[in-house]
Amino acid sequence: MVRHLLATILLAVIAQASWAAGPAKAIQAPEFKQVLNSHRGNVVIVNFWATWCAPCLKEIPDLLRLQQEKESEGVRLIGVAVDEPTANSAEVERFRSRYFPSFRTYARAGAEMDELARVIDPTWNEVVPTTYFLDRDGRVVKRIQGKRTLEEFRLALEAISQK
Amino acid sequence: MSKSLLFLLILVSGTSGLTRAAPLQVNPAGHKAAAPDVSIGSNGDVAILWVDRSPNASAAGNHDRHIAATDVYVAFYPAKGGFSSAIKVNDAAGAVWGQQVSRPRIVATPNGTWHVSYAINDLHPTHQKTALTTHYTRSTNGGRSFETARRLSTLTDQDMSGTIHGGFVSAAAFGTMAAAADGSIHVLWIDTRHMHHDSESGAMYAAISRDDGRSFSVERSVVNTGVCPCCQLMAVTNDRSELILGSRKVLPGSIRPATVMRLASVSNETPQAVSIGGAPWQIAGCPLKPTAVAVTGDRVFAAVHNGGEDKPGVIFSVSKDNAAHFDFKGLVHPDAAVSDAPSIASNGKTVLIAWHARANGPRHVFYRYYNLDGEAQGDVQELPTGDNAAQTPVLAVRSDGNYQIVWQQGDNIFTDILAGQ
Repeated sequence: MVRHLLATILLAVIAQASWAAGPAKAIQAPEFKQVLNSHRGNVVIVNFWATWCAPCLKEIPDLLRLQQEKESEGVRLIGVAVDEPTANSAEVERFRSRYFPSFRTYARAGAEMDELARVIDPTWNEVVPTTYFLDRDGRVVKRIQGKRTLEEFRLALEAISQK
Repeated sequence: MSKSLLFLLILVSGTSGLTRAAPLQVNPAGHKAAAPDVSIGSNGDVAILWVDRSPNASAAGNHDRHIAATDVYVAFYPAKGGFSSAIKVNDAAGAVWGQQVSRPRIVATPNGTWHVSYAINDLHPTHQKTALTTHYTRSTNGGRSFETARRLSTLTDQDMSGTIHGGFVSAAAFGTMAAAADGSIHVLWIDTRHMHHDSESGAMYAAISRDDGRSFSVERSVVNTGVCPCCQLMAVTNDRSELILGSRKVLPGSIRPATVMRLASVSNETPQAVSIGGAPWQIAGCPLKPTAVAVTGDRVFAAVHNGGEDKPGVIFSVSKDNAAHFDFKGLVHPDAAVSDAPSIASNGKTVLIAWHARANGPRHVFYRYYNLDGEAQGDVQELPTGDNAAQTPVLAVRSDGNYQIVWQQGDNIFTDILAGQ
């Protein structure tokens, strides 16, 4: 019982620590899986984007707004920048901190563009932006490809919440 | 086994008609390589180009957002044997903006000149912000060295960074290059200068050289609007020195068909873009899917990932009338979970398509032969790369009629020869 409680507290601490919008860290698939696992119990919105993708950049403010609206309901937004690792995560972080300082995002560390996406979707076809909605059990319940408005994201979230 | 011996094996196997030799790693140790391209010289020399994150690449001197920290490297494999050391093509270290979805390109003209085009991060002198521009360089000494690069795209006075939401002042990238039998060089790129905040599409610009790269025409808008801004252009030339150009349009409702255009000249034509077929793909985003093209006589072959299919993947189409109409042939790899990043080439007898896909396990490179009518000649075959993930293949027709294939495997570039059949 105590162990279970400690484990729960530890997971919550990890989730909270990993949730704060810190620097964009370059990670690989196993670590990304841990990040997602640490958010079980929350609805997680995972947004794949790139610093050079204009439609991505246009929708990120709406996603951040949605996160702010729904944070108290346990909704978490996680970004994944698919910029080439040859550009290294410092560039992604420089961009994030200047334009989207509240955006919690990771950068890919590996050579394959879909390395992190395949943790949740092995059939991702490398189109950006792609946004996944994960339910509180960590299952993908919706995938959106292409830019969407705040209202469209709200509706997608409502549909998940009603399930 | 030494690299020299391996290379000789490749040459011998290529000329004797054997189908396979051992893959050869192209990039030097310590250099992380990606996004390869390949070209064959008129004397049979093989040139392999890639984006390199070498130990010497530095972001120093680069600026702010979207900066790169990469170079362009090339290695040559002369037909007569031996191979060159890899050399850096660009002048300013770390300035190259090159990646899988916007690769630097290399082509050869009949007199032996090698031509390279790539995008770099420029600093706009007025706005002091980053601009993405298209540059060109050439080697007239067999690839031993490259000239100081020249910017072909204009730096306009506009500041588009608000339109691209904090991004570039302007962008001239996702470009391509082709060399024609008459010695002309065509460099094309996708340009954002006409975009406004709600735009989904860009323009296509081009510059042409008729003196082997010594000088280029002033840039010209080939297509003013309606070009998907993030699907790299792909181009080849036919035996009449006409340009066959693969690109993607943006139609109302964000429908984005893959198209092919035929241009007698980028100097004074407004081309007709012909859809290659397949299911409509509606996407208000960045598909990042070039339309690969190849040509034999009046036949034009095109392959591209289409996300509109019931099972998104690489589709193949054939034109028998010089890109006036296309016959849709369907998916090249129906059993794959998702197939992508096709390259296509034709040696006049067959058509070869290579792509990457996940079937079971890591991403691998696959290929399939077709006849000139677009009928499959055998099943999908897998390039044996073991447990290693392999991706982004490119193809070229060798002087012996076989196919040179180059691909990225982890942080390295490999090459091999596939039979011309």
